Amino acid sequence: MSCERIQQPTSRREFLQSAGCGFGAVALAALSQQPLLASTTALNPVAAKIPHHRARAKNVIFLFMEGGPSHLDTFDYKPLLNELAGQRLPNSFKPPLTAMGEGNAPLLECKREWKQRGQSGLWISDWFENVALHADELTVIRSCVSSGINHAGGVCSMNTGSVFGGRPSLGAWVSYGLGTENENLPGFVVIKDSESTVVNGVRNWGTGFMPAVYQGVEFNAEGVPIKYLDNPKGVSNDRQRDKLDFLAALNRQFGETRSDNTELEARIRGYELAYRMQAEAPQAVDLSKESEATRKLYGMDREETAVFGRNCLLARRLVENGVRFVQLYSGAGSKWDSHKGIEKAHSKLCRSVDQPIAGLLSDLKARGMLDDTLVIWGGEFGRTPMSEAGDGRDHNPTGFTMWMAGGGLQGGRTVGATDDLGLYAVEDKLHVHDLHATILHLLGIDHTKLIYPHKGRPERIDQNEGHAYAKI
Amino acid sequence: MASTFPAFDILPTVIKRLTLLCSLFLVIPAFAAEDETRRALDKFFENEVRPILSNRCFECHGEKKQKGGLRADHIGYLKTGGDTGPALVPGKPEESPLIEAIRYKKSDFQMPPKEKLPDAEVAILEKWIQLGAPWPEAVGGGVVVTEGGFTEEQRKFWCFQPLANPKPPQLSGNWARTEIDRFIAQKHAELQLTPAPEADAREFVRRATMDLHGLPPTTEQLASFLSDSSPQARARFIDGLLASPHYGERWGQHWLDLVRYAESDGYNADEFRPAVWPYRDWVIKSLNEDKPYNQFVREQLAGDEIAPENPEVLIATSYLRNPVYEWNQADVRGQWDIILTDITDTTGELFLGLSFGCARCHNHKFDPILQKDYFRLRAFFAPVQWRDDMKLATNEQKGAHQVQQVAWEKATAEVRGKMAAMVEPHIEKSVTRALKRFNDELQAMVQKLDAERAPMERQLVNLCDRQLSRARRTFDALKSIKSEEDKAKYKQLEVELKTFDTLKPKPLMDAFVATDVGSVAPSTSFKTRKGEQEVAPGFLTLLEPGEPKIAPMGSSTGRRTALADWITRPDNQLATRVIVNRVWQYHFGRGLVASSSDFGKLGEKPSHPELLDWLARRFVEQGWSLKQLHREIMLSATYAQTARREVSGVALNIDPSNKYLWRFNPRRLDAEQVRDAMMVASGELDLKAGGAPEDATATRRSIYTIKKRNSQNELLRSLDAPSGFSSTAERQSTTTPTQALLLLNGDWPLARARKVSSRVETVDEAWELVLGRPPTMRERETADAFLSKRLGGPDKPPTVRLRTEEGPELFREKTEHERLLDQGNVWEGDDFSVEALVRLDSVDSSAAVRTIASRWTGGKDSIEAYGWSLGVTGEKSGFKPRNLIVQLVGEDENANIGYEVVASNLRVELGHRYHVAITVSCAEHSVSFRLKDLDHPEAAVQTAVVAHALKGKLGYGASSFVVGGLSKRSPQHLWDGAIEALRLASGRLSEAELTEDASRWNNALATWNAKGGVGEFWAWSGDGKSTESADPRRQAFADLCQVLLNSNEFLYLH
Repeated sequence: MSCERIQQPTSRREFLQSAGCGFGAVALAALSQQPLLASTTALNPVAAKIPHHRARAKNVIFLFMEGGPSHLDTFDYKPLLNELAGQRLPNSFKPPLTAMGEGNAPLLECKREWKQRGQSGLWISDWFENVALHADELTVIRSCVSSGINHAGGVCSMNTGSVFGGRPSLGAWVSYGLGTENENLPGFVVIKDSESTVVNGVRNWGTGFMPAVYQGVEFNAEGVPIKYLDNPKGVSNDRQRDKLDFLAALNRQFGETRSDNTELEARIRGYELAYRMQAEAPQAVDLSKESEATRKLYGMDREETAVFGRNCLLARRLVENGVRFVQLYSGAGSKWDSHKGIEKAHSKLCRSVDQPIAGLLSDLKARGMLDDTLVIWGGEFGRTPMSEAGDGRDHNPTGFTMWMAGGGLQGGRTVGATDDLGLYAVEDKLHVHDLHATILHLLGIDHTKLIYPHKGRPERIDQNEGHAYAKI
Repeated sequence: MASTFPAFDILPTVIKRLTLLCSLFLVIPAFAAEDETRRALDKFFENEVRPILSNRCFECHGEKKQKGGLRADHIGYLKTGGDTGPALVPGKPEESPLIEAIRYKKSDFQMPPKEKLPDAEVAILEKWIQLGAPWPEAVGGGVVVTEGGFTEEQRKFWCFQPLANPKPPQLSGNWARTEIDRFIAQKHAELQLTPAPEADAREFVRRATMDLHGLPPTTEQLASFLSDSSPQARARFIDGLLASPHYGERWGQHWLDLVRYAESDGYNADEFRPAVWPYRDWVIKSLNEDKPYNQFVREQLAGDEIAPENPEVLIATSYLRNPVYEWNQADVRGQWDIILTDITDTTGELFLGLSFGCARCHNHKFDPILQKDYFRLRAFFAPVQWRDDMKLATNEQKGAHQVQQVAWEKATAEVRGKMAAMVEPHIEKSVTRALKRFNDELQAMVQKLDAERAPMERQLVNLCDRQLSRARRTFDALKSIKSEEDKAKYKQLEVELKTFDTLKPKPLMDAFVATDVGSVAPSTSFKTRKGEQEVAPGFLTLLEPGEPKIAPMGSSTGRRTALADWITRPDNQLATRVIVNRVWQYHFGRGLVASSSDFGKLGEKPSHPELLDWLARRFVEQGWSLKQLHREIMLSATYAQTARREVSGVALNIDPSNKYLWRFNPRRLDAEQVRDAMMVASGELDLKAGGAPEDATATRRSIYTIKKRNSQNELLRSLDAPSGFSSTAERQSTTTPTQALLLLNGDWPLARARKVSSRVETVDEAWELVLGRPPTMRERETADAFLSKRLGGPDKPPTVRLRTEEGPELFREKTEHERLLDQGNVWEGDDFSVEALVRLDSVDSSAAVRTIASRWTGGKDSIEAYGWSLGVTGEKSGFKPRNLIVQLVGEDENANIGYEVVASNLRVELGHRYHVAITVSCAEHSVSFRLKDLDHPEAAVQTAVVAHALKGKLGYGASSFVVGGLSKRSPQHLWDGAIEALRLASGRLSEAELTEDASRWNNALATWNAKGGVGEFWAWSGDGKSTESADPRRQAFADLCQVLLNSNEFLYLH
């Protein structure tokens, strides 16, 4: 494509001039209910932007339990399930379409102990004893619904709102809408808990039809945080600096007679940013100065919680350093998927995340960051009340649980409900589209106005189908 | 960047709206002078009817919301209706669904949904319709609805108008060279814009070559253009470019973007599509042959119906196979629906430039595309069947294959029978397990006889069968046979079967194509509130309200041929405009219609509508020839303008974005252009055309780089190559810090920079090689300053280029020269050759292997350990000492990690100078060895060919290529002696290509020659420490070349 095909001012000053009247033009744009978005940012599409309304949260930490955690054994208490365990799903229930298609399997009992927690009395099972200490901070959404029945569709849907690839992810929409607060770091960072690939790979944090500036950047939890962040082997910092200075000098000479091509200037800036990122990113993720107490709080002192604990601590560090959207994957490669032996598989995974998540919430709170930071917990779907392979549960996208904390949410509350067996959401159903709209709402973005024009269509995150659950 | 949101475009929009509003009010008096009756009707409407509609209906059926696709705020909308058809019939309340709904007679069709209207209001609406549903024009805002329910505005919308026949305007002045220029110049004159001066020869040649070939011009190309002073120089130059096969490789990429071509399924498994590449080659070949565009389109949409016997036409139907797909999806019906949706959406935007996809769930909100039209288009594809049972071969080839196949089958019947008897019951079980994953409905379909299946059932069973046959294909016999005795027996039978392989015909290429499921199509229907509505194939109702005549063709419905015929009608105003506009866009960086896949209301209007129509007509008149169109465009003065002109004066105020082409548009190179140009500069680009895709470590053109949807090549992805999920009409041009990190610190770009630097000795040479011109004085100063800072003084080119040192061929433990590490990141793949001139001074006292060359960690049981090594066995080796062997770690037939020692049983004498050569092949499952004692010329050349069972992936491990040892220092595996020279080549070198004369070793991925010194591509590793190539001057030049490869001048056409 040609450079700057759409009319773009070459500088902010020029924009304000050409738009007529300085700030008035910005106000006009705001009044006309068009998002400002990248308009003022010909030079810098990721510059921080003004939200549509007062935001409750500025940042997001999305804890993605990949593979589908069971809501029935964690946050959605269903006494009837154990009463009917071993029997078939009553006829009053519409037979669900299940992924593995094991027909007519009996209901599987929940072996957990349930207690009402905190002053609010939220029901939380013993798999999340530590998170339960924060019950009064949690808003548990028990009526989530997704369109994806298998992992590929489910994970894609939870990330992008569509079961097919090709659309921007939630983090990309947030970056597009709000920009970043620290240009020397990516605005959207993803960290996995193992080398395994998340279902569908990197496109989960891709930008689909949006420019790549909004994409999520994968950080390695250990060693060099970003691929190619380090100078090539044997290249000193001085040598790298010399190269960049030489490059900038040549590019400036080239740009002298082409000053209206802002892309050329943006490239010069891109290399400078890269250099600054080389300096800043390792520092942002350097945990060596974190106290022993902090490490312990996150469970980094115990083998089973060390990995996710470290990632949770990294998430706090990144948010502290101005990263807008952090997504942590637990069980990368569908490890929460428990078609059989759910007891053993989930026990282990819950243990690995319970203390770290509780530590994250405590730490954010202690640092006064919890009000600004929206913490989201969930997977691509939940699991069925019916058994599979005797002691497992199949995928359930028709009713499952996610919870949110921080971000100015009141906490100690539930939203919506599933039926008595936790199979279908029946009250205040929130489809993934609605969840996305709600998350944007909490960030001060009206999702119906966060529009990206693509192929002549005004694209929205929810494909025009979602509603923000403002009551949250 | 096109993609940023232009908030300041709001100003003009606001003004436009205001004007619209004003003109609207001005219309009112024109309608005021009506007769008495009319006034009475108006009054009735205003006082009685309108309040009801407004209070009761508009909330859900108005400007903001259109539930069920229906608007009730104008009679036109009501007559057109919503998803279920017209809401009312003027004069006939009994036939009007609106009345039916408000009467609350049916339980499932009641409006308003919450509460029935009072009877009085129902009566008023009945009366209103009875009176002919009068609607004063003023209220409706001047919307006039014409036949078929479309508004006059919609009918008059530019893209639906027949192609006009404009004459190029007559103008004064002599800027215009061609007819195209006269259209452009007219707009210039209108807007008082002046064209830019002509680009100089260098700018023009680079632009034209990048444009038509995607490659930078060679020195010869530039020289030939410069030396041609005739007036025909440009024409000759462009004709030369158009005649080259590289033209198809560049323009084919544009088409592949549009058809979302990829070599994998997408979704999670993202399975490789091994047979899709012939379609890519077909696209390239068709363009190179200048196949008329109408034929190009017809073959893709209906090649199977047009020429079912011709593999060169059949392959075009791969177009229908490009959607994403998931082989293990149990919801087969849902997946098929998604696939048809994908084909329909893509076809609509690709050929017709309309966002058909918007009309799948409701009538299009902005364009006159009915929901019914969406399904009319989809119905053309409804009978499509994805075929796995066809071959890309002529009838003769198939015949010959069949004869041989029968012979093989006959000869092996007994063996295969025995094998089947052993495993068939197990296979059946595994297939049954796969079958049980489907729901009862699908299982029943699978179990029916084919003759009893309805067409739709056949399609679904086809998708089920793909899963079942996979269960059969991937069945692991040896795992399921329990007793060791039976296992041995089975293995024995396998060996026996293999002995018949000489009889086996060479497999024919699988055809990744589609046909119809039969001559009867499954029905196409869509849901409306009244239930399913069935539709027949048809075109846009606005243009062609009737149903086309479609005749079955053999075992096909003929539907797609009918569609292709319509799309390629010379007077199809959409398809013809769409393609000429795309061509214009790829040449200029912006289409005459900027939204090249959306000609609708939300898209942009043409900047030069007359030129667009003139081009479309001309294109058809010239036999749909794309090459003629390129020629015509590229010979224009418009195309010849320079891009080096700053926005100023009139242009700044009127047209800062250069919509009216007062200069050439500056552009960043596309991802493939960047990658290819880097390899041109490094001298590595392999210009071999066509064939199976290769890993990005190969040095072929990027269009031949494997394109997996979920794991794109990182360089191409970073530079905005599309991932193949949906049709891409226009590339983005992004700049991110992570992209800069990749270009600066990534292994691949670094290796290219080193290679470039190995080809130059001076700053001037570096500039010529990378940028195709000498540096300016200032640039030379900047570069010299850089070099002298790095070198601590001014750069002095060495007088002697080759370094000699004593015994540089010697490899010795505990010295600085233990192993040589490759710095060029070569990658030889699964079929490769190594030859070397060596002398071995000792063997290991235990069993370890002294290594000549390797890509191996020494491990055997992880993916990181994939690799190979060539060496000589030690004293206590089970293969006897001094045996020349190859060790391989790769993937075996069962996709497990396999380790094999391939021993030649050729003995290496200590102290002798040898020429050693091996060729390793995973395709042929063999290694051939060749050993020649150079100290004893009379001795015979010894050879051996040894089989192995590995299938491939030797290069997938973590190791790099190493000479004289393994990738990790392992003392007992180090070579002890001389390696004078060595070359690594991809593919199997023939006997004739092997030579002990190292000076004749061309065509190598990597060569080591002790006489030449380590250079930039090798680094000695000694005694546990490895060092980068130590020559500071080489380092500085490599850095300089890398900077040039990252420069804006290299990356931009500006």
